[in-house]
Amino acid sequence: MALSLQFPVSTPRQASLEISKLTPGCLASSFSLRSPSTSSLHSLGTSSGIATAVKKSSRRWRAAKTVAMAAAANEVSNRKVLIVNTNSGGHAVIGFWLAKDLVAAGHEVTVMTVGEESSDKMKKPPFSRFSELRDLGVSTVWGDPKDVGAAVGGKSFHAVLDNNGKDLDAVKPVVDWAKSQGVEQFLFISSAGIYKTSDEPPHVEGDPVKVDAGHVGVEDYISKSAFKFWSSFRPQYMTGSGNNKDCEEWFFDRIVRDKPVPIPSPGIQVTNIAHVSDLSSMITLAIGKPSASNATIFNAVSDHAVTFDGLVRLCARAAAKEAKIVHYDAKALGIDARKAFPFRNMHFYAEPRAAKEKLGWTSSTNLSEALKERYEEYIKIGRDKKDIKFEIDDTILSKVG
Amino acid sequence: MAASSAIRGYGASAASFDGLMQARKDTARTCQNRSLSYARTDQFLASDFTQNVVRQATDRTRLRTQAVRRVSIVTTASSDTPTKKILMMGGTRFIGVYLARLLVKAGHEVTLFTRGKTPVTQKIASETDQEYAEYSSKVKHIQGDRQDFDGMKSKIASAGFEIVYDINGREAVEVEPIIDAIPSLKQYIYCSSAGVYLKSDLLPHFEVDATDPKSRHKGKLDTEALLQSKGVPWTSIRPVYIYGPLNYNPVEEWFFHRLKAGRPIPIPNSGLQITQLGHVKDLADAFVRVLDNPTAFGQVYNISGAKYVTFAGIARACAKAGGFPTPELVHYNPKDFDFGKKKSFPLRDQHFFTSIEKAKNDLGWSPKYGLVDGLTDSYNLDFGLGTFRKAADFSTDDMILEKLGIKVAVPA
Repeated sequence: MALSLQFPVSTPRQASLEISKLTPGCLASSFSLRSPSTSSLHSLGTSSGIATAVKKSSRRWRAAKTVAMAAAANEVSNRKVLIVNTNSGGHAVIGFWLAKDLVAAGHEVTVMTVGEESSDKMKKPPFSRFSELRDLGVSTVWGDPKDVGAAVGGKSFHAVLDNNGKDLDAVKPVVDWAKSQGVEQFLFISSAGIYKTSDEPPHVEGDPVKVDAGHVGVEDYISKSAFKFWSSFRPQYMTGSGNNKDCEEWFFDRIVRDKPVPIPSPGIQVTNIAHVSDLSSMITLAIGKPSASNATIFNAVSDHAVTFDGLVRLCARAAAKEAKIVHYDAKALGIDARKAFPFRNMHFYAEPRAAKEKLGWTSSTNLSEALKERYEEYIKIGRDKKDIKFEIDDTILSKVG
Repeated sequence: MAASSAIRGYGASAASFDGLMQARKDTARTCQNRSLSYARTDQFLASDFTQNVVRQATDRTRLRTQAVRRVSIVTTASSDTPTKKILMMGGTRFIGVYLARLLVKAGHEVTLFTRGKTPVTQKIASETDQEYAEYSSKVKHIQGDRQDFDGMKSKIASAGFEIVYDINGREAVEVEPIIDAIPSLKQYIYCSSAGVYLKSDLLPHFEVDATDPKSRHKGKLDTEALLQSKGVPWTSIRPVYIYGPLNYNPVEEWFFHRLKAGRPIPIPNSGLQITQLGHVKDLADAFVRVLDNPTAFGQVYNISGAKYVTFAGIARACAKAGGFPTPELVHYNPKDFDFGKKKSFPLRDQHFFTSIEKAKNDLGWSPKYGLVDGLTDSYNLDFGLGTFRKAADFSTDDMILEKLGIKVAVPA
């Protein structure tokens, strides 16, 4: 059987970028610093800075390696990509990391953030760090999804990603504009929350979804809009630097203050917390392989489930502290678990099977390591000293007794 | 070499989370680490295989490390494999019943080694008289006790067996004499267990995950280590919970008894525990695919269903399979009871499920049975025909129901 293994790499720069990342020494050194002589390290600075540089960027490195290796069979390169990015919430960080990964893969990126550059929302991460994007050559603009053209000033794009809307009201204008501009590939950040609950985890692409969900209507509309290529990505929860919404912080807030961590019973509910680089690497691959990713829905998640109790343990380990878990029956105590706990109080677990099968993608999330990094950032910004009221916790704990 | 011990998937190197991730990354198919491919071919250099096979294996490994777009390399389908002389340890009760039939049908010469307590062959519900006649006339038998090592060796030594399927081995000491007795052995295929995995907060279990040297299935782990050390090509299959017609482990049968009796189903704790059931026929298919398959040499594979299932979900799936109404589930805390030696529930009270993607990628295998389909198959060909292995015993149920103050309405 014929295996077409090496697609021509279009630019010498991209070739050296990919080849330099593929040396065996590179893989070894990202963990053990054994061979600082590999050429791929030169981009990280002087040899004296290698130790810190490699350690700090090891996740980026692994994710980049994932992309580079899988991208050895890219179908296209040098794409002009527009990311229409939400200005708040858990998905905001996706655009930030994706822009960086796309640039590293040799594409030209514009990020259009919804709203105004002067808005207060822009003071929060990742927006507060958009200079990092501009330093890489990413064009950052602001605008209204109802008039994307005005924001991007007549630029043309091969691929457009909507990482903003949750329903047709918000996304239709972007889809229609892209269609009118002859955009080849349309990608959408949907949500794994649209899967119907099931006795048989995990949620797998193709499983039944809640037909009334806004995201479902959007996916449907995109699939029927006759783009040359389209894909949809269904994330769950994300962690990572530049996150706009709390994830693991909820756990750190309690652990670092030696407060008990109230967990809705029984504590074995599983969820999926991906490092955002899993999403950015997946979408980058999809953009580099539009035929392979076409007409496909991807669960944009890591390939591990973690239990609620397990997450407490991992956060405690990241903080090098002990944690006390207190289970409570939310229903019986009349507690609204949605307000009391940051994740859905049920099994909520999707697996990224389509990405592995169709894109050659692999997960690089190491939750243990990710939480350690996030804990360092948590301390660095002084959040452990912040005065936080734990009203709901106190109510729960008093009821549990 | 760190990489090779990671491939083998043994606990030591993966005891820490970081080590575990390291091991997993090392064996990811997109890894281009040269030492990975050399580690695999080490096995062949130590064996008495021909150069041909070594080259093949290296090529495949190299192709795999280069291949980005995952192509499942089905190296040998049973119809392509030249006839093999196969020794099967076991083969008369459950897995082997289906596996031996597939192998005989594919033209191999199959000999079952059993004590003879169970009839060597019995007609099963899903085969015609003709099919049974063909199978029973072709399959061979050696009567013996595998615990009598010297006796066993003398019985299997000179038959020229090329392949061993060890379906019922538990301890490493039982396996070593078999390998020693058969100089012509080309592959030892072992039925291990996913029970060897160390309990984890991060799931599913992948083949490279840490294993538990203190587990009840320690013998399986020791056997895998022994196989690794002997130099003969070997493959180990780790099923989770196996189900299907003729199951002698009361998995689905336990639920069917209660559904038939119209009784509530007692579930330990929340019923949210997630596990995984795999149909025995899918397992047999996987066992066939590793036969004479160099890709599978030195490899362990998780084999089970494509999806996982909660405890409560199993109860509901069994009800659907047997055409019973949705069952009443009764939740209890096992710690509140002393059941003595009796088991109040057939499954271990924890999350327990594995990723089967390695087998899918390496062997081109995928489970054909979804859970309800598979349980329906089991019901239609076994329990639904009035057959089962263990009679119903509701004594622990009654203890639970009594304590919880629940009365059982016995159907007239």
